[in-house]
Amino acid sequence: MPMNGTRGYHPGLVDLASGQISREIFVNDDIYAQEQERVFARSWLFIGHESQIPNPGDFFVSRMGEESVILCRDRAGAVHVFLNSCRHRGMKVCRYDDGNTTVFTCPYHGWSYGTDGALVGVPFFREAYHSELDRGKYGLAEVAQLCCYKGTVWANWDSSAPSFHEYLGEFRRFLDLILDGWDGREGQAELLGGVQKWIIPCNWKFPAENFSGDTYHNISHRSVDLVGAGPSGRSRRDYGELNVARKLHVAIPDRGHQTITYALPKDHQPQPAYQSSPEVAEYFRHCEEERRRRPGANSRLIGAPGEIFPNVALLPRQPRTLAVWHPVNAHQTEVWRFFFVDRDAPRAVKNFLRDYYIRYSGPAGMTEQDDMENWNYAHAASRGVIARRYPYTYQMGMGHAVENYDYEGLRMPGRVVDLTKAQASEEPMRNLYRRWAQFMEADSWDQLMTWRHTAAQAAQ
Amino acid sequence: MSDPVNIRALAAGTHVVLASGAEVEIVSNPEDGVWLFGRYLSSADDPAMVGQEEMIFAQDVVEVRSRE
Repeated sequence: MPMNGTRGYHPGLVDLASGQISREIFVNDDIYAQEQERVFARSWLFIGHESQIPNPGDFFVSRMGEESVILCRDRAGAVHVFLNSCRHRGMKVCRYDDGNTTVFTCPYHGWSYGTDGALVGVPFFREAYHSELDRGKYGLAEVAQLCCYKGTVWANWDSSAPSFHEYLGEFRRFLDLILDGWDGREGQAELLGGVQKWIIPCNWKFPAENFSGDTYHNISHRSVDLVGAGPSGRSRRDYGELNVARKLHVAIPDRGHQTITYALPKDHQPQPAYQSSPEVAEYFRHCEEERRRRPGANSRLIGAPGEIFPNVALLPRQPRTLAVWHPVNAHQTEVWRFFFVDRDAPRAVKNFLRDYYIRYSGPAGMTEQDDMENWNYAHAASRGVIARRYPYTYQMGMGHAVENYDYEGLRMPGRVVDLTKAQASEEPMRNLYRRWAQFMEADSWDQLMTWRHTAAQAAQ
Repeated sequence: MSDPVNIRALAAGTHVVLASGAEVEIVSNPEDGVWLFGRYLSSADDPAMVGQEEMIFAQDVVEVRSRE
């Protein structure tokens, strides 16, 4: 299907009035190519965690969209994110996953860069270049904006984008559910083990949509529930408190972030969990009690799958993980899954969680395998010329979201659907694609920062 | 043409001779096979280089002279 410039995404391909979205946005190679410029080159993207580069010279090779980048701590201790591409002929200057170095040397012609990105070595600089090359102009390309938040590192190629905190808006509290300690102390998370990486044959928006809060697909995990892969040998998770919590979809319309979350009643007491391991059970019982003692609304929130626009998935609780859906092409996604644990947790707790995380998530995880099959076959069955004539349906729960949702004094931001009885809605998916369409159509960040316009109008 | 020098194997303190005839003491070796960090001990072509630390390109190293 030929695309007419960058127009026609909303309401043409993304028709939220009727709750229909064209399959083209998942399978069309032209749309995919435009996404790289309009979505990934302008959004805040997750790069890695500071604990991966604790020492000067440490580096971790990450990705932003399709492109390889180097997360690096320079000799002075500053954190950088560079495009992993030599300024001379584009060769990757780093072909390792991680390590420590004094310089990044291009293996093609030998240009060499310091850990601060400066071009420090040019072969035959005096002889061949006659000392005339302005080396100061040819350092590694560095991101326009970088933010270290509670250990996580985020970056953006667009200097006109808002700060990371403004980009997150009120969604930050849901990211905090991963990054803060289980006992509520700020920024206590550390990475557990390495990063799991694998490729799924589907468009990146399939997993992004799924993790936006698709509770409707739980039936496809029925076998995992029956096996009892959960930490106590039952179901998938230990979630006794969910029986008394309000189950919610929370969507932030002007940001494009959305999540499932559970709101506990006031004065709720911790429920038994991890009962197959007394040490682990005691650790979490202690943490839950501490969390309830700390001030702040998050003590009554239980995290669940969510998505930071465009391609970072949250799973704050069981397993506690971030996933990044890196686009490879329109039909392939490279998944990077990072697992987290409390830094101060006893070794036995970390080992217990490692086993559980691997059992649940990642390419060999029982639950993630279910998801991959769904996305894989759904994508393949949507590529044909006949299949493309039939848009997907996103009508569930249209018109049933509310604003200013409050549960016993716990206010939720954005638009909220109470799923406690409804079980499912597609409000988060509509939120994701509304924002996606805005990015695809907007020519500048000024058009995308609608909240600033609203604030300015209110001030007038 | 002399045999190429495997600069990855050169430790700090080693003296090498460059194609220009300059003698350089290796300060550190990133072991990337392409560069060395070295201090000029002599440089007939450009005496001002003596004492300076520079990155030394592998193809410029023509001889390993000694190790301190």
